Amino acid sequence: MRKKQCVAMLLAGGQGSRLGILTKNVAKPAVPYGGKYRIIDFPLSNCTNSGIDVVGVLTQYRPLELNAYIGSGSPWDLDLSNGGVYVLPPYHSGKTGEWYKGTANAIYQNIPFIAQWDPEYVLVLSGDHIYKMDYNAMLQSHIANGADLTIAVREVPWAEAPRFGILNTDENNQITEFEEKPKNPKSNKASMGVYIFSWSKMRKYLEQDELNPNSENDFGKNIIPDMLADGQKLFTYTFDGYWKDVGTIESLWEANMDLLEMPMPIDLYDKKWRIYARNPGMPPHYAAEGSKIVNSLITEGCEIKGVINHSVLFAGVQVDTGAEVTDAVIMPGAVIERGAIVRRAIVGEHAHICAGAVVGEETGLIAVVGPKAVVGPGEKVAAGVQIDADEQ
Amino acid sequence: MKDVMGLIYTGENDIHLGELTSVRAVAALPIAGRYRVIDFQLSSMTRTGIKRVGIITQKNYQSLMDHLGSGREWDLHGKVGLHILPPFVTRDNQGMYDGLLDSLRSNLDFLRLSPEKYIVLTNSHSIYNMDYSEAIQQHIETGADITVFYAQPSEAFDGEGFEGEADAHFTVDPETKVIKAMEVGESHPTCACPSLKIYVAERETLLHLVERSSANGYHHFGRDLIQRNIKDGTLKICGYEYKGYCCQIDSIQAYFNFNQTVMTEKVRKALFPAEYPVYTKVRDDMPARYEGEGKCSNSLVGNGCIIEGTVINSVLFRGVKVAKGAVVKNSVLMQDVQIQSGAELDHCILDKSSVIRRNGRLIAPAAYPIVIAKNVVI
Repeated sequence: MRKKQCVAMLLAGGQGSRLGILTKNVAKPAVPYGGKYRIIDFPLSNCTNSGIDVVGVLTQYRPLELNAYIGSGSPWDLDLSNGGVYVLPPYHSGKTGEWYKGTANAIYQNIPFIAQWDPEYVLVLSGDHIYKMDYNAMLQSHIANGADLTIAVREVPWAEAPRFGILNTDENNQITEFEEKPKNPKSNKASMGVYIFSWSKMRKYLEQDELNPNSENDFGKNIIPDMLADGQKLFTYTFDGYWKDVGTIESLWEANMDLLEMPMPIDLYDKKWRIYARNPGMPPHYAAEGSKIVNSLITEGCEIKGVINHSVLFAGVQVDTGAEVTDAVIMPGAVIERGAIVRRAIVGEHAHICAGAVVGEETGLIAVVGPKAVVGPGEKVAAGVQIDADEQ
Repeated sequence: MKDVMGLIYTGENDIHLGELTSVRAVAALPIAGRYRVIDFQLSSMTRTGIKRVGIITQKNYQSLMDHLGSGREWDLHGKVGLHILPPFVTRDNQGMYDGLLDSLRSNLDFLRLSPEKYIVLTNSHSIYNMDYSEAIQQHIETGADITVFYAQPSEAFDGEGFEGEADAHFTVDPETKVIKAMEVGESHPTCACPSLKIYVAERETLLHLVERSSANGYHHFGRDLIQRNIKDGTLKICGYEYKGYCCQIDSIQAYFNFNQTVMTEKVRKALFPAEYPVYTKVRDDMPARYEGEGKCSNSLVGNGCIIEGTVINSVLFRGVKVAKGAVVKNSVLMQDVQIQSGAELDHCILDKSSVIRRNGRLIAPAAYPIVIAKNVVI
């Protein structure tokens, strides 16, 4: 394996329990978003577009669908002879073997993977966010600053700062202090969970952290404070594009609705920074006579006979005559039968809404119909309720 | 199916497709909102489990090569995979093929060096989604030298069976499947069943027949290799009745009609069954977007489209923009076409990246659709 300047490590092992039944059987990065994407398409496409062509994806929770989705990595041009995407589950090595204990431990366990590329830098990513970011620009800033660690930040409204991990810096963006959810923030620079480490320093601190039995083996709680305490050079890199955490039902729904804004807050038509996705190979969507589609995103394979208003429909969704879908996110292969009404809701993959059923309400919390769940004829699903598929 | 290879001939006569094929082979003609014609034959090969596919190219094959790439989209990028066979000039070859038989003669080495026992040979202007296995099975059972696909004659253009003007017809014995008579190029054929111009043979048999025919100076595959051998009875030539949907794209009118019938449920179900997708080159567009007053009725719309105007009975390929106040009826809009505000279209075929400026009007009768060439601005 030839040397690489920078290797990316994508932390994809989290359960994403705040997404409720949507992540009951799939890891969060495999959750569908934006009509044809999955969350992981964003960091993977960002890597490809930034010229980073070694990506280790650290999986742990329900990896089956995620593994199948990543496959050989060809949709992102990450199927390479020297490089590409590698799925890295925890493994057993003779005497020891354990689950990933924390973010830092997950990388620690994969030191041999990183070392084989002999990189100068390691980019750490998470699979929780929707954003288009040039990691190479961040890497150049890391190099120019001679930094040991660069943390990507965005400037959040001051009122919201107490909800985030906040980084206090001097006038050169060198980090002086890290505060997790400070009551009285001194800065509004919130960490995005995107890090670039110089590999030699990273390795040293990971190995040191592993020896500390009291450590939680977490970047935010342990590694960053340790490096700061030792006077290492930590810098921030400010990102000012669209960035959305999709860790909760409400934020996932909102992030989908954002795509219906004019102009779109995140430009997915941008030919210079395409977001790649695995393609299901379906025909163009069919809008029947008598259908009505207003202010919505409709993906290939959909068959629309009813009324769609301000909604995002994924590949292969069927909406029958007289059905009405408003302010909703309908994931791949879901069927909405005749006369059913769906409002302010997320309908999971291959869910089935039978004739005359009513899902969600005009106001209030988002209703969720889980993947493969069935809402029977005429049944009602109230706002904020989550319907699970029957155990099989 | 193991031990079967495929061969697609793309050098068909495309004179009646006019402007549509002036810049490309029929095989590369955009169709049904996101595909090229060849996607249907290639996806059928993949569906059958065929791993080795040769594509005989003739003219304008650059856009075809660009579309096919490594064959990855059709799972044909493996060690066996896709073989593009462009024309070449030697002492025996003039570079320009004189029909299918001549092109096979030119590519005898490809036939010789492929290890598979059977070969499926198809044209590249027929739209179908089929599994060839049943025909190959019949070919083995009947012990035929060549099996030719045919369809039952159909009266009307109704989205079932075979649609198109066949240039060869057969009379087939329903019991033995043997072809009793064949007519080529007859304007009023007495044989009833149209030929689909798809063939199954043992590779060695085809090799031998091509060598023998070209040694005799023959050059017409249907007339010289099939019809002649039916007449003198030297070969056992059987017919395989294909009952599914198959539409031949050989004229502007046929192209236009197909794009209209593809919207019917019958044809969509026949060509796009969920379990056997038709694969094509991926473009990575985002989903289609309806904005403001955008309206759409009885239409197929690809990803990446932005619809702010009115679209009726039309096929919109990927990346088409229909601006506010524009009305598009009964039309086919290929990739990245832009219809500016207030423009009006009826019975038009707009080739890739053409632009209809503000308030432009193009109204044609159903019997004679207007074709606007690639990149033209009106």
